[in-house]
Amino acid sequence: MELLRSLTIGQYVPRASPVHRLDPRTKILATTVLVVVVFLVRDFRGLGVFAAFLAAAVALSQVPAGFALRGLRPIWFLLLLTLVLQVFFGGSSGGTVLWRLGPFAATREGLVQGLFVTARLVLLVVSTSLLTFTTSPVELADGMERLLNPFRRLGVPAHELAMMMTIALRFIPTLVEETEKIMKAQMARGADLDTGGPLRRARALVPILVPLFVSAFRRADELAVAMEARGYRGGEGRTRMKQLRYRAQDLWAGLVVLGASALVLWSGRI
Amino acid sequence: MSDPVVVCEGLTHVYLRGTPFESVALRGVDLVVRRGECLGLVGPTGSGKSTLVQHFNGLLRPTEGRVWVDGVEIRPGTALVREVRRKVGLLFQYPEHQLFEATVFDDVAFGPRNLGLDPEEVQERVRESLQWVGLDPDRFGPRSPFSLSGGEMRRVAIAGVLAMRPQVLVLDEPTAGLDPEGRREILSRVRELHRKARLTVVLISHSMDDVARLCQRVVVLHRGQVFLDAPVREAFAQADRLRSIGLDVPRATDVLLRLKAAGLPVRCDRLTVEEVCEEIVRVLQGNQRWSSSEA
Ligand SMILES: Nc1ncnc2c1ncn2[C@@H]1O[C@H](COP(=O)(O)OP(=O)(O)OP(=O)(O)O)[C@@H](O)[C@H]1O
Ligand SMILES: [Mg+2]
Repeated sequence: MELLRSLTIGQYVPRASPVHRLDPRTKILATTVLVVVVFLVRDFRGLGVFAAFLAAAVALSQVPAGFALRGLRPIWFLLLLTLVLQVFFGGSSGGTVLWRLGPFAATREGLVQGLFVTARLVLLVVSTSLLTFTTSPVELADGMERLLNPFRRLGVPAHELAMMMTIALRFIPTLVEETEKIMKAQMARGADLDTGGPLRRARALVPILVPLFVSAFRRADELAVAMEARGYRGGEGRTRMKQLRYRAQDLWAGLVVLGASALVLWSGRI
Repeated sequence: MSDPVVVCEGLTHVYLRGTPFESVALRGVDLVVRRGECLGLVGPTGSGKSTLVQHFNGLLRPTEGRVWVDGVEIRPGTALVREVRRKVGLLFQYPEHQLFEATVFDDVAFGPRNLGLDPEEVQERVRESLQWVGLDPDRFGPRSPFSLSGGEMRRVAIAGVLAMRPQVLVLDEPTAGLDPEGRREILSRVRELHRKARLTVVLISHSMDDVARLCQRVVVLHRGQVFLDAPVREAFAQADRLRSIGLDVPRATDVLLRLKAAGLPVRCDRLTVEEVCEEIVRVLQGNQRWSSSEA
């Protein structure tokens, strides 16, 4: 039952680390740069440097390493599948054959390619989860809004997007909790959620989904009323309690990330 | 009366173990629920009450310690758990949020149908359960549960648990968020189930008045440990201890405590308004006699 809670993507881990104290805009931009870099890397040496940098960032953020890796748990199957597919089909047809499985041949080139792609996915997930581990949803949304603001003139509803994101992030844990509670309540009435064929299992979801939707709509209604009651009319002319401000540390962090990226991309060329 | 139905031994529960959000909800709880009793489970917010009762039917597994129901140890993941869920009916906080069927009848029938009973048996159980909670099966059966009032919805949810024909009924704050009329209705139904249907009842409540009125024994949890386990009169006589952890005593008992503080020689182990009236009359009459013989 606590399975649902082991979903760590998008979970904030409150700490007082230097990474937490950075301006959210810095962190969003840095993460974007890292994501681009992880796709540009061409060799293992670059990935190694990237991994070392990421490990240092995780250590600095005071998020327990085991917890940072937990984000991989829901996608382990995807990782495994990627690896297997690459091992068999990744190398070009003329590679060194390691072993055969019926008509399929696993090649050395395929294995190397598979490990590379899997490592890249792992680094991708860990870098993006570091952003959510160290940035509270409110900060994240504020940062997004400010970054998108210049595009308002092009019709990007920056404030609305940010508000939607804040609300969604805010309610994920609530919905998880609610789901857990409803599941327990139906199990207490003898509901059997994990036996039987696919059709039976799909039917077994009805007693969980119906109450979940009912409560999600109720919450949405209550929230809308509460927001209107406090005079919410969208983003126009809204002021904030916490002003975002770039500080010296943001400059430094930006330089470090750019430096590390250059090192990652350049390390392969020597 | 005295054989145990639910036994917990050294029960410890840690949520989200091994994460930064780890929290210890129960530490080493020993508890026995006896057959036929009505046990009040009280404690400040976050003291572990809801966590504790979810071990009674195998919804949570102990981090450490053991739980027996009806002499059989609960081991989650075995077929036995289904048997246990039938014996221990658990009603969660705000149970009306779990209603999902198109009609009240179908919703109450959800449990019995899961047990694989034949339609006549299901029908009979649904009618009986609705009657126990004071809802006319013919009038309410075909209605949508979402068209009912809050108190009625809650009674439907209770009927849904009763339809499993449990031996032990665990109610997690069954009166939270109801108006006084709704509270009285639910409580008198619970009392009836306890007295007439001979159900063992575990009542979690923040209202000491309700506990005093219904329960024979009180277990107080505090920070995941058993703080006090005593017959209801003894428990509420220890007002200072209860108040030290932010709990209170029944309002009626409070009146006596104040009278005593003001110098009247009253006994403070009275719980209901009627008892308190008698006690005051007794003391006043005693006083009169005493002062007239003096004169
Ligand atoms: N699913 C969960 N995951 C993590 N922690 C939890 C979970 N459920 C409860 N807790 C924590 O366990 C502790 C005990 O919670 P529990 O719900 O058992 O308390 P309670 O006595 O029922 O409180 P209340 O009177 O508010 O209902 C609390 O500190 C709570 O934060
Ligand atoms: Mg509770």
